[in-house]
Amino acid sequence: MLATFGAALTVFVAAVAAMLAMRWADHQLRATPLTAPERVPFTGGGEPEYHAWSRYHARYYVMALLFLAFDMEMVYMYPWAVVFAREGMVAFVEMGMFLTILLLGILYAWRERGMEWA
Amino acid sequence: MGVRATLARWAAAAPVPTFVVAGFGAREAAQDLWLDPRIVLVAAPRQASVLLLAGDVPEPLLQAAIRAHDVMPAPRAVVAWRTSHRAVTERFPTVAVAEGPQPAEALVAVHRALRTGDQTSTPPILADVDPAPWRGEGPYGQGGSGMTGGVPYGRPMATREDDRDGLTLDALPVPVGPLFAGFPDGLSARITFKGDLVHRFELQPNPFAADPQADRDDPFVRALADPVPIAELEVARARELLRACARTLHLQGLDALAVRAIALAGRAGPGEAAAVRRLGRWVTARWCTAVQLRRVGRIEPAALDGLGVGPVARAAGLAEDVRTDDPAYRHLGFTALTQQGNDAAARLAQRFDEAVQALELAGRADGLRAGGNGAVEGPRGRLTADGSPTARLLELVPELVTGREWGDATAALASLDLDLREAASRSADVAADPL
Repeated sequence: MLATFGAALTVFVAAVAAMLAMRWADHQLRATPLTAPERVPFTGGGEPEYHAWSRYHARYYVMALLFLAFDMEMVYMYPWAVVFAREGMVAFVEMGMFLTILLLGILYAWRERGMEWA
Repeated sequence: MGVRATLARWAAAAPVPTFVVAGFGAREAAQDLWLDPRIVLVAAPRQASVLLLAGDVPEPLLQAAIRAHDVMPAPRAVVAWRTSHRAVTERFPTVAVAEGPQPAEALVAVHRALRTGDQTSTPPILADVDPAPWRGEGPYGQGGSGMTGGVPYGRPMATREDDRDGLTLDALPVPVGPLFAGFPDGLSARITFKGDLVHRFELQPNPFAADPQADRDDPFVRALADPVPIAELEVARARELLRACARTLHLQGLDALAVRAIALAGRAGPGEAAAVRRLGRWVTARWCTAVQLRRVGRIEPAALDGLGVGPVARAAGLAEDVRTDDPAYRHLGFTALTQQGNDAAARLAQRFDEAVQALELAGRADGLRAGGNGAVEGPRGRLTADGSPTARLLELVPELVTGREWGDATAALASLDLDLREAASRSADVAADPL
């Protein structure tokens, strides 16, 4: 049992010890607790009116989805790489066609302004 | 205790993290602190150990400085330099007053004394009363039912507004400034954010009050009433333009280049034209300034036509310059330089080009004088007794930044080189008072 989980247990104990040590060091170094004005976010000298807890638009989500989709396509290249040496030029041309179709998809997304961050 | 003493010794030897509040007459001196390796100018008071009040700090900035002081971590200290002493000591109970042409020595001395324990940390000025206590109600502790149904820490949640792509999402109003490091000194605005997009930009009043005495040594202000040597005007112009370039570069994170521009501004003279040209080429050809600043802060040339906003208008291809009508400048063969870019990158290149041109003119000026007819081409544009380019540019600001990403909005503001002190001193109210 210990042989199986010994390494994981060691990492866990070390992580807990490191966390406790840092908390102790923080406690030792901290001079005084924060006052109320110190806890307020500083935006240049004004007082915040609204709570900063807000739901905003993650506008890069189109780009993130595109990345995920095309990243997953690359998974198909692993089995292809295994047989590439055996199949030779046929495999190369097939992969070339596959990548060309993907590239057209990327160009379409680009034209539809899917690559804009904001 | 050994650990604390060692850390304190190291901290005492480190550069002084300083947060500067620059009032009248301290704009240049505050920027020159970049040149001192013993000082680090920080963007937020939470990083600072010393608060520097430089120059004549007006009342609204002093109020903001009190907030800045209270968010500084202990041990902290306040240094006043060339301030109106009474106004500062009334609000800051313990303040070290720096004498001399530069505040750097005093900053270092105070920082060392703080770290070695010879000086105690300044006490908080504002009362330790939470203006908005935590309510602890609701499933998220937000003080009501539902995600947005409460007022966590007593502050209401962001209001919802329609987004440009048909979603209804939160619009968060945030007061920014007047001590926000990414803005021109003293600029404050109530900005409604949608994520990192500026949804609405409401400019707040100028914290600087009209003070006819504040800029009487400025050569451009003197040239309004009396002829001033062109050499003096043009060297002053080159200095201001280089300092504006340095502010843009600093905002882009190019601090080493910003320091070179400030150093050049300090020793500017006709002999430095080649050095300024080299720095300008190096900066404007750089891949990162081009990518970061191109297409940022575009203004319709029609909106700039006839506005008299100097380098901003000339970077948009409008050859507007008071100097073209001046016989002394015509004698020197002056022609207004222009660019076609009309964006922040073009304004940066334009300022470097004009700084080189100004130094070359200063070298040829040979005792010629210009001015005395009520209108002068200042480093930001046409200056008159009751009108400043900053005041005219400020009217364009809300439209310029609305709908932009926050990084582009601050870069666009920096590219205008606004000086709110100038806007206050040259407002219509001041014109009634004799200089």
